[in-house]
Amino acid sequence: MAEAPMSRVLVIDDSSLVRRYYRAALERAGFAVEEALNGIEGLEKLLEGRFDLVIVDVNMPKMDGITFLSDLRARAAPTGSVPALVTSTEAGPQDKEAARRAGANFYLVKPVAEADLVAHAALLAGARA
Amino acid sequence: MSADAGPPPEAVLSEEEFRRFCEFVYRRTGIVFTETKRYFVERRLLERYASTGSSTFAAYFARLRAESQEVEELINAFTINETYFFREEHQLRCLTSSLLDEIVAGKAPGSPIRIWSNPCATGEEPYSIAIWLLENWPKVDVYDIEIVASDIDTRVLDAARAGIYGERALMRLSRDLVARYFETTGPGRYRIIKDLRGSVRFDTVNLIDARAMARQGRFDVVFCRNVLIYFDDASRRVAAENIYESLVPGGFVCLGHTESMSRISPLFEVSRHAEAIVYRKPGGVRHG
Repeated sequence: MAEAPMSRVLVIDDSSLVRRYYRAALERAGFAVEEALNGIEGLEKLLEGRFDLVIVDVNMPKMDGITFLSDLRARAAPTGSVPALVTSTEAGPQDKEAARRAGANFYLVKPVAEADLVAHAALLAGARA
Repeated sequence: MSADAGPPPEAVLSEEEFRRFCEFVYRRTGIVFTETKRYFVERRLLERYASTGSSTFAAYFARLRAESQEVEELINAFTINETYFFREEHQLRCLTSSLLDEIVAGKAPGSPIRIWSNPCATGEEPYSIAIWLLENWPKVDVYDIEIVASDIDTRVLDAARAGIYGERALMRLSRDLVARYFETTGPGRYRIIKDLRGSVRFDTVNLIDARAMARQGRFDVVFCRNVLIYFDDASRRVAAENIYESLVPGGFVCLGHTESMSRISPLFEVSRHAEAIVYRKPGGVRHG
């Protein structure tokens, strides 16, 4: 029986516990999940394969989430146009604005509840399909 | 009714040898063996005689004093490591329902939370902490959680890093948790998933070595369960003082449920919670 291909999500976060938490939630909801530890690794993965969504943390070593988004959006489609969901512990309006300017499609303040993560992931990845 | 235990084993060590040997182990590890543990000590020693090709105590002891590698092997043979996932679950429950809330009350989102499993034996405890946090703490993505695991025994640390367990170690975990956090590597063998292996940092540390302890920095919570019972009063006090120095002000130490810090050191405050009694280094942010 043919099934619709699973949406592919790339989770970029420097904490392995956080990656595990997001991955488990997304996999339960039927997404195929890949992980990266920082912006540089995230860009490499995005250039290697097609993703329907990238979920990216802001505060990371090597390359932070805002720099990552700016770099990503400077690239040609389809890589450069992948929807991006930003997750961050920073809740200030200026932080959200910085993420929006860099190319974020949506911004969730941590702690991110499983239901919120899945609902926003489905919405953003669905918009891509 | 008593089971027939067979004839008592022939004494391997003379009184004087046993005393000298115990003194040596004590000075290196803080672990005290009395006459009641003679059988245990002799069995382990015979294993080391066999491994090193020593035929007498004098030959083995000379080697022990000359070779630091053999001291390490001996320590490995003498530290007892058998535990399981979610051992003393009430303390893990206490961690997520009380301790962490108090700890993060004084921290900005994104700040580090440092948890130390010391001694960690073959890794069941630090990995249990990671699993427990993922399953039970809604703020797991808000803070930069660092789990450090250490032990005096280098052999168990290798096993902890590899993260492969038998059925017995997993007996307290639901089927669902096993499926989520382990992969099968063979019949009855389970390996903890890579994400969790990556979430714990392992290092060799002796609880009574102040410098080695200090090198790990300060922690918000130290799990030091079921090891101080093997120490004598003096070593226990040294270990308690080292743990005290390893904690941030207001940081917690969790002992095994049969152990009491009040009997060891006056440095700590008792911190009573619905799920467990733990001990706290005075100071830090207070709430509630």
